[in-house]
Amino acid sequence: MKILMFTWEFPPLISGGLGMACYGMVKALLSQGIKIDLVLPTKELVYFPLRDEGDADTLPAVFIEPEKQIEYTRRAFTCLSERLEYIGVTTHPESYFNMSEIAEYSNLIKKHYELSEVTISEELELLKEMTAHLIGDEDLIRKVQEYTLRANRFAKILEYDLIHAHDWLTYPSGILTKQISHKPLIVHIHATEFDRAGGPGDPRIHKIEYIGMTYADKVIAVSQYTAQMIMSRYRIDSGKIRIIHNAFTLPETNLNNKKRIFIGPTILYLGRVTIQKGPDYFLDMAAKVLKVHPEARFILAGTGDMQRQILRRSASLSLKNRFLFTGFLNRKQVERILQAADIYVLPSVSEPFGISPLEAMSYGITAIISKQSGVAEIIHHAFKIDYWDVDLWAETINHLIENPEECRKIGIEGMKEVQRIQWDEAAEKIRQLYATTLSEFSEQRVE
Amino acid sequence: MLNIVFYFQVHQPYRLTHFNVLDIGNNAKIFDERLNSNVMRKVSKNCYLPTNQLLLELIQKYEGRFKVAFSITGTAIEQFKLYSPETLDSFKCLIDTGCVELLGETYFHSLSFLFDTNEFLDQVYMHRELMQKEFGYYTTTFRNTELIYQDRLSDIIYEIEGFKTIITEGVDRILQWRSPLYAYKNYAKNLNLLLKYYQLADDIAFRFSNRDWPEYPLTVDKFVNWIDHLTLAEKEGKNLFLNLFMDYETFGEHQWASTGIFDFMRHFPDAVLSKSHLGFANPKDVSRLANYQQESLSFPEPVSWADEQRDLSAWLGNEMQQNASETLYELINRIKEKGDTDLLRMARLLSTSDHFYYMCEKYFQDGDVHKYFSPYDSPDQAYIYYINALTELEERLLR
Repeated sequence: MKILMFTWEFPPLISGGLGMACYGMVKALLSQGIKIDLVLPTKELVYFPLRDEGDADTLPAVFIEPEKQIEYTRRAFTCLSERLEYIGVTTHPESYFNMSEIAEYSNLIKKHYELSEVTISEELELLKEMTAHLIGDEDLIRKVQEYTLRANRFAKILEYDLIHAHDWLTYPSGILTKQISHKPLIVHIHATEFDRAGGPGDPRIHKIEYIGMTYADKVIAVSQYTAQMIMSRYRIDSGKIRIIHNAFTLPETNLNNKKRIFIGPTILYLGRVTIQKGPDYFLDMAAKVLKVHPEARFILAGTGDMQRQILRRSASLSLKNRFLFTGFLNRKQVERILQAADIYVLPSVSEPFGISPLEAMSYGITAIISKQSGVAEIIHHAFKIDYWDVDLWAETINHLIENPEECRKIGIEGMKEVQRIQWDEAAEKIRQLYATTLSEFSEQRVE
Repeated sequence: MLNIVFYFQVHQPYRLTHFNVLDIGNNAKIFDERLNSNVMRKVSKNCYLPTNQLLLELIQKYEGRFKVAFSITGTAIEQFKLYSPETLDSFKCLIDTGCVELLGETYFHSLSFLFDTNEFLDQVYMHRELMQKEFGYYTTTFRNTELIYQDRLSDIIYEIEGFKTIITEGVDRILQWRSPLYAYKNYAKNLNLLLKYYQLADDIAFRFSNRDWPEYPLTVDKFVNWIDHLTLAEKEGKNLFLNLFMDYETFGEHQWASTGIFDFMRHFPDAVLSKSHLGFANPKDVSRLANYQQESLSFPEPVSWADEQRDLSAWLGNEMQQNASETLYELINRIKEKGDTDLLRMARLLSTSDHFYYMCEKYFQDGDVHKYFSPYDSPDQAYIYYINALTELEERLLR
């Protein structure tokens, strides 16, 4: 079975949980014999034919332009990062952009829905609507336009049985590819615009999400929570939705190896500093705990549009040097801060899944997580609290600070639990979904 | 006589590295030696060395009739020794002429007066000792960091033996109808006060090269003509003081050599001394020269020489600056309790007011002077690195 997979993030190209989830999933799928052609927002026009498990780490690439491919194969790279830099896979997805091709975008999309053999008028409507919504001058929208433009080429030259697209940024590509190839499309919902925006969000993105899910043959939701959301908010046919929880790939370093930075108890928030993740609740609980335990340190790790506001509020609350900001952390630095923490908190207002607590727990850190998160459905050895119940968060943190032995034990139980939640299980479910989708699809075609 | 009193502030802070949370506990360097040495070498080359040379020539030429005063911070002296010893030597030559007064201040150019009187006194004594050790000079005039002054400061300074005069800003809201040209007394009438004549001082320090300023270009003749017409009182035999206080870096650094600032200074004394009722004096001369009943002035609230507001808002105006300074002085006390001298020195280097200035947001968007002086991308970054550095010291204290 061969899959054409579209995703916006894949290590080392990551900005959040999506990249790590795709990595774990792809690796596990490869080990089960699935072949994947991966398309990323790279600078150069390449795809990644992944055949063995190891390919997820080495990322073998193929250039679409033959001359470029020849040049690429002739070139000697001293290391992986040099090679990835050559194709334009950097640690930030922002590097991808080419103005000159953008103009072609609308022509291409137009041509496809006018000339294709689409006869079902509903589909035609959807495509028209999507083109209308993928309009804007923002960098991101333009990048999505170009990515979609490229999907056209991949759709035609590659061979595959099924298309798998992760999150809205790649839905236009998935739809276009299905349009061209008549292969089944699975869209994967890691987060919706409602989760990201913590409110109504961008209506264009809602539309793209809606159209993607409507046009897809199957929809994978990363939790019951997300499935509920897409049924109630997007009115997606529940028969199409499959819930497959994300898992977490354990890092290979020795995890039971605590390296303190701070002498006092260390409480960690790790994630984007945006309204969705509840950094303001983190600050509120810190202010309460520090009244009782001034020796504690609260670390806000990550960046985002709320950092400025949180920084100023932490200063005006006179939290001294007890509430610290790390800014953006790379992978290595994330591992370092995890080794230094005692308690991990995820006070998300809305978290479709939330892979970060699993990672924290794999380091033996006691986790306290928002009840409004998908990950709360699958783990047991963690505290689960309504994100808004700041008093209870503070009491729980106080209790753990006052009972370090209990805190350590819960951490170890959590670590064991996470080790059992592996990607293999989730990948097996995805593989089954691929198989049933393919057989259903071919039956439809026969009819 | 109308006596022109030049006082130049010489100060360099120890700037911080981009000190992140993950640097804590690694014995990482808190101070950016490379940046500090680069700045010191650049400023020495553009400002300190050429201006010292010029002033030396002028002092020699006018044989005692041209005088200037300096306040040189401990952190500047230390960094001369580290990165530009020839600059320290050239200051010594100047001071040996006898026409240069050195002022007393806090060794670390800190805001300690506002937070911790004991720490303030420690830093003032440290500075006085340094002036004696380096230059054999006993200071008798005091200038607080950034000319911050209020009545309470004069009470503290009065208690320190030897200080007779304090200099500060000629703030309109205190002076009201009075002229900054007179010598005043503090509210308790036991110390002299000299007040900066900010309009004319800032014409040189800030507006000299500003082409949008209607008076541009500022020539010596024009400037001396203004001085000549300030008042008639000196003609009645009263000794007045035109206090031109400014950062020494005005010469060659804030105003580049190409603006003509050095030529201006070279020809200024000649034009002044050609008029019989104009001359130069040092702040300490006020005790001898004031030949009238000095009115006392009360400063109930602190003033400074910074920005339009001339208050503390450049260093303590926002919540980041307040939280950072509270954290610092609390830590200094805990370090003193434990008696760790190495940590105390580092904490004191963090007491330098510049660190708080970098966190100021008042004019940041306009790319104003605060941004010009800051080695960091934003006030937020300055705050984050500063708080992290304090945390490093605290963790070392706890170990």
